[in-house]
Amino acid sequence: MGASQKRKKEKQLDFKKPKLKVGKAKAKPENFTDTSFKSKSIILNQQSLKLTAPSPSTQFTHTISLLSSKSDPQRRDALAHLTTTISSAPTHAPLTTPVSAMLPSLLPLLLDPTAAVRTNLLKLFRVLPESDIQDHVAQLLPYLRAGMTHLAPDVRVSAVEVLSWLVGVAGGEVVACAGGWVKTLNCFLSVLGWHVEGGSKWTSVSTSSTSTSSSTTASSSAGGARGSFGKAGSKGRPQVKVLTVLAEFLQAGIGSVSESEAEAIESESGGGGGGSFPIMQLPAQMIPQTAAPYIHLNLFGKPRDEEGEMYETREDRYRVFEGRFLGAVEKGVEGARQEGGEVGRASAGVRRVLIEAKT
Amino acid sequence: MVKRKLGALEKVEADLPNLQHKLRKDPKSYIEDFRAQHYQYESHREIFMTAPSSATDTGIISLRDLIDFIAHVADCYPDITKDFGQQLMDMLTQHHLLLEPELREKIVGSLVLLRKKDLLDSATLLQTLFPILISTPSKTLRALIFQKILMDLRTANAKTINHKLNRIMQTVLYNLVTSDRTSSKGLWAIKLTRELWKRQIWTDAKTVEVMKEASLSVNEKVIVGGVRFFLGGDKEREEMEEESSDDEAVDLGRVKHQIGINKKTKKKARVIQRAKATVQKRERKKSQPHPLNFSALHLLHDPQGFAESLFSKHLQSTKSKLNLEQKLMVLQLVTRLVGLHKLHIMHLYSYFQKFLTPRQPSVTSFLASLAQASHDLVPPDDLEPLVLKIANEFVSEASSSEVATAGLNAIREICVRQPLAMDETLLQDLVMYRKSKDKGVVMAARGLLGLYRDINPEMLKRRDRGKEASMGIQHGEKKEKRFAAQEVGGIEGLELLEQWKEEERKRKRAEKGLPSDAEDDEEEDEEDENDWAAWNVEDDEDSDDSGGWVDVHSDAEIDFSDSDNEGGPRPAKKAKQGDEEPQTAESKPDPKKPSIATTRILTPADLAKLQELRQEAAVNALVPGPKRRGQTLEARHKEDPLTAAEIEGLAALSAGKSTREERIAHAKEGKTDRSEHKSITAKRKERKEQEGKSTTNKEKARKKNFLMTLGKAKSKGKRSLVETRNVLRAHQDRQKRGGKRGNKGN
Repeated sequence: MGASQKRKKEKQLDFKKPKLKVGKAKAKPENFTDTSFKSKSIILNQQSLKLTAPSPSTQFTHTISLLSSKSDPQRRDALAHLTTTISSAPTHAPLTTPVSAMLPSLLPLLLDPTAAVRTNLLKLFRVLPESDIQDHVAQLLPYLRAGMTHLAPDVRVSAVEVLSWLVGVAGGEVVACAGGWVKTLNCFLSVLGWHVEGGSKWTSVSTSSTSTSSSTTASSSAGGARGSFGKAGSKGRPQVKVLTVLAEFLQAGIGSVSESEAEAIESESGGGGGGSFPIMQLPAQMIPQTAAPYIHLNLFGKPRDEEGEMYETREDRYRVFEGRFLGAVEKGVEGARQEGGEVGRASAGVRRVLIEAKT
Repeated sequence: MVKRKLGALEKVEADLPNLQHKLRKDPKSYIEDFRAQHYQYESHREIFMTAPSSATDTGIISLRDLIDFIAHVADCYPDITKDFGQQLMDMLTQHHLLLEPELREKIVGSLVLLRKKDLLDSATLLQTLFPILISTPSKTLRALIFQKILMDLRTANAKTINHKLNRIMQTVLYNLVTSDRTSSKGLWAIKLTRELWKRQIWTDAKTVEVMKEASLSVNEKVIVGGVRFFLGGDKEREEMEEESSDDEAVDLGRVKHQIGINKKTKKKARVIQRAKATVQKRERKKSQPHPLNFSALHLLHDPQGFAESLFSKHLQSTKSKLNLEQKLMVLQLVTRLVGLHKLHIMHLYSYFQKFLTPRQPSVTSFLASLAQASHDLVPPDDLEPLVLKIANEFVSEASSSEVATAGLNAIREICVRQPLAMDETLLQDLVMYRKSKDKGVVMAARGLLGLYRDINPEMLKRRDRGKEASMGIQHGEKKEKRFAAQEVGGIEGLELLEQWKEEERKRKRAEKGLPSDAEDDEEEDEEDENDWAAWNVEDDEDSDDSGGWVDVHSDAEIDFSDSDNEGGPRPAKKAKQGDEEPQTAESKPDPKKPSIATTRILTPADLAKLQELRQEAAVNALVPGPKRRGQTLEARHKEDPLTAAEIEGLAALSAGKSTREERIAHAKEGKTDRSEHKSITAKRKERKEQEGKSTTNKEKARKKNFLMTLGKAKSKGKRSLVETRNVLRAHQDRQKRGGKRGNKGN
C-alpha cells in the first residue's frame, strides 16, 4: 500500500508547476549534466615545421590523394593543379606518376556530382599522353558507360564529351576492346532514347510501326527528344552533342577505311607477303606493338557473352551492328532529321557514316 | 534573402527513390529509364568485378543503391532482369569475404526481396545463403543470414507445408552434420532445426534424424546441442505455443465501445479492423484440428540403436572428451530413452555402480538418471545390487540427513518403476527411517512405505501395512505383480463418467420422489432412451418436457431393450441388487468389475462429458487441500523427466538454496489473489484513478475543504425571504436545464 501511494504521488508531481523565486537562479532540471571543465593548458595538434618545401613529386602524389576529398572545391583544385603540373612539364620527360597509377583515383570522378570537377577532369585527360591512354581504354570504358546512363543529365553529357575525346585519341581501341562496341552502342541508344521495344528481332518487327510513331511524337513534344525522367541538362542541347559523338564513334567503328590507313594495311600485308622465303610473316614474329596482344584470347577472364565480346575487325562490328542496331539507329536518325534545326544537322553526320558503311 | 543550400542529390536530380516510385506506378512508360539504370548497374558491376576489394563509393550513386533499386522494381521488368538474381548470388558467393558490410547486407536483403517477389525460388536462395552462413567469419553477416533463412523457411511454410523445400533443407542439414563430424559447423544445423522445431514448422522424423546425427557427432558443442534438443526441445515448443496463443488479448467489445465514444478517424477504423482480424484468426485457430505433435523422443526410428551408440560412444569410451556436466546430459538422454521406450542396454546399470557414492559431484543427477532408466522390464537382478549400494552408501544413521533423503527418494523412484528390485529385509529396514528426526528423511521414508502399501503390502511388517492394505490382503485384492506382467488397458477417466451417471440417476429419482436406491426396468430404459436421444452433443432437450410422445416411444422400446438385456444382465444393476455387497465397495469403482465401456456404446455426448470430467479432475488435483497419497506420482506424466531436485526432496528446499522470492512464490502457490476481494465501487474508483480521469461532482463536494464551505453556510442563515426564494428558483431552473451549462440535447 505504502509503495503504491508513493508512486501515485510521484506521478502527480509531474504536473505541478515549479515555483520560481525572484532574485534566485532558476533551478536546474533533474536530468541536468554538468559539461563544464577546466584545463591548465591548451594543446594544439602537431604542426609541420619543415623548413624545406616538399619536392614536386611528393606534391604531385599528395594532390592525387586529394582527388578523393569530400569537398568539391578541393577536388576541383587538385585536378587543376595536376593539369598545370603535367602540361608545364617538358613533353619528353616521363610523368612523375605513371598514368596507370593515376587512373584508379581519376576514374570515379567521371561520375562526380559537381560539374566543375568533371570539366577539369576532361581538361586533365586532354593533357595526358595519348600513347599511355591507349592501353587503358578497357579500364576507362565501364566508367564512361556508367556516366552515359547516369540518372543526372549533366553527368551523361560530360561522359559523352569524355567519350568524344577518347574516340579521338584511341578510336580503334575503343571499338575493339571487350564490350566496347555493343555495350557502348546500347548506352548511346539509351541516352538518345532510340531503343527498340523488346530485345528480340521478332517483336521489334511487329511493333516497329507503333514505336516509330511514339518515338517521333516523343521527340517532337519534348525538347530533349526524350519523354523521360529527370530534367534536361543545363548545358543547352545535349542531343546535338550526343549525335555528333555517335557519328564519331560509328566512324571509328564501321566507317569506311581512310586512304592512309588503307595504305598502312596494304604496306603491312605487302611487307608480310613480300618477305623473303624463311620469314614469311614477319609482323607475327616481331615483338607486338600493343601492351596486351593476346587479350583477345581471353585466357584468364570469364567467358564472355555476345555483348561483352571483342569485335576486332570492321566486318565483325558491322555484322553485329546490322543485326542489332541498324534499324533502331536509322529510325532515330530519321526522327532527328524530321525535327530539323541543330539536331537535324547533327543527325546528318550520323546518316553519312551509315551510308558510307553500307557501301 | 538567404540562398537555400542545395544537397548534392538535389543539384543533379539523381533521385532513384523518385524514379522507383514512378516506375512502380507505370512500368511501361518508364522502361527506357529503367533500361538506362540497368546499364548503369551493369557498368558498375563490371567496375566492381574487376576490383572487388577496392569498393570505393563511386560518385553519388553507388552500386548498393542501384542493387536496391533494381531489386525493388525487378518484378515490373522480368525479361530485362532475368539474370539479376544470379549475378547477385555470384557476387555474394565469390566475394563475400571482401565485400564491404553495407553492400553485403544489401545484396542479401535484395536476394530475399527477389524471393518475396517470386523471382527466385526458395531452394536456390537457401542453397546460396546456407554455405555462406557456415563459412563466413563475420558475425553480423551470420546473424543476418540466419535470420533471413529462418524467415524464408517460415514464409514458405506459412500457408501450406512446403514439403519439397523442407526435404531439401533437411537433407542439406543432415549432410552438414554427417559429412564432417569433427567440425563445429553442425552447430548451425542444430540452431536452425531447433528454431524450426520450436515454431512447429518442422515436426517430422527427418528433423529428429538430423538431431540424432548431431548428438552422435565428435565435436562436443554439436553433441551438447543435439542432446539438449532432445531433453528440452519439446518443452520449448509447448511454451512457444502457449505464448503465441495468449499474447495479444484483444477485447473487441471494448474497442467497439470506444469507437462509439471517441472521434471517428481512419486510424481508429483500422484499429477496429485489426482487432476483428485477430479475433477471427483466433476463432479459426480454435476450430482447426489440433496438430499431432509427437515429441522428438517418439519420432526416433531406432531408439535402441541410438541409445546404445550414445552410451558406448560418449559415456563408456575412454576417449570421449566430454566433461562431467555434458556427460550427465548425455546420461539423462540415454536413461530417458531407456525409460520411455523400455529399452535394455547391457552395461548401463553396471556403469552406474561406480558413481553411486555421496562424494560423487552432482550425485543426485546420477540418482535421478538411474531411476529414470529403470522400468518394469528391467531384470530385478540388475537393479538389486544398485539399490543395495544406494542403501549402504547413502542411508545410514551416520550420514547426513540430505544424503539419506536423497538415497531414500532415489530408492523410492526406482521402486515405483520396478517394485521387484526391493528385497524384503531391506525394505523393512528402510521403512524404519520414518522415525528419524529429520523431516526430509521422514517424508522420504514415508513415501517408500506408502508406495509398498499400495503395490505390495505383503513385503511390509504386519504393523506397517495400514488398514486399507490389510483389508486388501484379506480380500485377496492386493497381489504382487509378477515380472513383466501387463496391466489391462482402459479408457482414462471412465470411472469418473460412471460415477457421474450414477449421481445423475440418483438426483433424478429424488426429483420424482422415488427412493434413490430402488430400481425398476422401465426407469432404467427410459434413461437409456434419453441417452440415445442425446446422441449429439448439442442436443440438450430433456425428454421430460414432451411427456406423451416419449411415453409411446419408450413403450415400444421396452421389448427391444429387454431382449437385449437377456443376454447379459447389466453389471451395474447386479451390483446394486446384491444386498450382501458392502456399500463402500460400490461407491468406489471396482477395477475387476467390467466397466461401462464393455456393456454399452459411448455416445458422443458421453465422450464430451468424459472429457469435461477429466479436465475437472485435473483442475481439482491442482487445487490445494488434503491430497491423496501417491497423487504426485500419478500426476507426473510418463514423458516428463525426473530431475535432481525431485531426488533431493525436502533437502533442496530447506538448504537455503532457494531465494526469498522463490520461497514466497512457493508459499503463494495455491492462494488466490488478495487484491481481487474489493467492493465494486472501490475497484471502479481505482480504475478511474489509473486512467487519469476526474472524480464526480458528488465526490468533489464531499472532499471540499471545510473552511471553504463555511462562508456560504454563514450567509445562508442571514438571507432574506426574497433572496431565499430567488436562490430556490434558480436552483429549480438549473435542475430543469440539467446543470449550470445545461444539457444541449434537451
